[in-house]
Amino acid sequence: MRPIIGTEPTGQITSELRADDLMQPGRVNGLAYTDPAVFEAELERIFTSGWVFVGHESEVPAAGDFVTRRLGLDPVIMVRDRGGDVHVMANRCSHRGVTLCQHASGNTGSFACIFHGWTYGLDGALRGVPQPGGMCSDRETLGLNRPGQVASYRGFVFANASGDAGSLDEHLGPGGIELLDWACDLSPVGELQISAGWLGQRVSSNWKMWAESDLDGYHLGRLHASLWRVVPGSQYEAAVLAGENVVTATTRDRGRGHVELEFWRGYDRQLAWLGVERGQVADYCEALIARHGSDRAEELLWQGPPHALIFPNLFLGEMNLAIIDPLAPGLTVHHHTPLLLGGVSPEFNRRVLRQSEAAMGPAGFLLPDDATAAERMQIAFGHSGGWMDLSRGMDREQVDARGDRIGHVSDEVTTRGFWRHWAELMATS
Amino acid sequence: MDAAVSTVSDDRDLRAEVEQLLFLEARLADESRYEEWLALMTDDVRYWVPSGPADYDPDTRISFVNDNRNRLETRVRQLLTGVRYAQTPPSPMRRVISNLEIESTDDDGTITVGSNFVLYELSAQATNELRIWAGRATHRIRRVDSELRIAAKTVELVNATQALPTLAFLL
Repeated sequence: MRPIIGTEPTGQITSELRADDLMQPGRVNGLAYTDPAVFEAELERIFTSGWVFVGHESEVPAAGDFVTRRLGLDPVIMVRDRGGDVHVMANRCSHRGVTLCQHASGNTGSFACIFHGWTYGLDGALRGVPQPGGMCSDRETLGLNRPGQVASYRGFVFANASGDAGSLDEHLGPGGIELLDWACDLSPVGELQISAGWLGQRVSSNWKMWAESDLDGYHLGRLHASLWRVVPGSQYEAAVLAGENVVTATTRDRGRGHVELEFWRGYDRQLAWLGVERGQVADYCEALIARHGSDRAEELLWQGPPHALIFPNLFLGEMNLAIIDPLAPGLTVHHHTPLLLGGVSPEFNRRVLRQSEAAMGPAGFLLPDDATAAERMQIAFGHSGGWMDLSRGMDREQVDARGDRIGHVSDEVTTRGFWRHWAELMATS
Repeated sequence: MDAAVSTVSDDRDLRAEVEQLLFLEARLADESRYEEWLALMTDDVRYWVPSGPADYDPDTRISFVNDNRNRLETRVRQLLTGVRYAQTPPSPMRRVISNLEIESTDDDGTITVGSNFVLYELSAQATNELRIWAGRATHRIRRVDSELRIAAKTVELVNATQALPTLAFLL
């Protein structure tokens, strides 16, 4: 059997664990989810040294709008200043380290610390210090700390704390850029409108189980059987549920940990992803043709949105965005928001919102079952871990002209693609 | 008998009837008796668990639950499949309802009732943690064929702005 990541992983993951303690041909050890030292190493090598999704610029449309997020465990603020620029900076007073924003979102003219009253502008510069006569440090050096790199693409804001992760373009690669373009192309004006707020789902499992289960095409028929029984006729019937030898949907590993389920290749009709007939969204179809031309518009109406992971923490979950937030080896928050579009009717976005509530979140018809499976995985690996078999479809995956690995929709191509990149970042010699 | 006394007596009767309805609803939910719970709802029921205080437009901001009768029936049917793994087995639960206030009565007789609740849930599907849920419920109640029925239930969780654990049961 071939190794899971293409070549045998070598080097140390932690001081105790070598790469081949965790990854062998076709399998990964559960210690990768449970070992606190692995989690610490991930915070350093993935969430500090690499690019991480922070938010979307449309979440903060007006000057002073802010949202709070995390870069790994470190709290940050994403805010729009009066000049229209979006900043990502530490949610931490430069004086004594108190968090400045307590709310998930809001609008403010400045950020003031509750402890001694140091005040910062929307650009993070230190503006006010009570009783300044005693100040011995240069206030120019005491603005809010910033990640080493912040960059955005099509409104998707990413940050890298270390500052030496290479460019965002390199991180996304052609495959990641294509996915983000595709999501935006669904809007007749090319813009997303991430304005409905986020719901958080708190799960007693490792974060990687979400990167995996969000991109697992194999479990739908079993774990989510209760949904298909009561909501027949969904797009997933033709794409996934019809049977191993019948479905034509595929999995795709785009490299750099960006992996995808191509449900759309198995759809049996246009607009299956929205659950409507063409006549119900005639204006939308026309507007899409006007923007993209007939060929691309018709293709988009068939494909709908991407279902993909932008490594490590952004899930393009069809008409949802999700952020995977690691809190501890066995604790994760999975946040989601509906992928509302600019340039469509309120009715269109209301449909997207209702579908998002139905599928996602702690009370959705899908995600609670994923949470239950993830929590039972975490329990099952206990203290000693144990091997997981991730070999499904290894002998039938193909490599296409641009180097993507492609498999049957039920094959663990996506999971292996995730781990392959994980090992590249984590295994040090 | 003077009119004021009569009103107080009517109010007591109504309050007792409303309490009995809410206590029954709570017990059916605690015991995962989904169909009987659903039978207490009107045909135009709305069941809403907002992601914060219930002062926003749910057509533009996301909610944990925003069910009309149709979606609520689907939710119940999913629970009844026996393979809704997030509620298989069903969570053992007990809730306490208190601080009940009849807040208003509309011209058509629909009553708005507020109450606090504390709910203990054993998450028996995976972690076996005892989870505590708390909040205020607002019921809209009206008479259908002489029986009081629930036309709307809004549940404002104390921690509605925070990430929540699995909420696959009925609040």
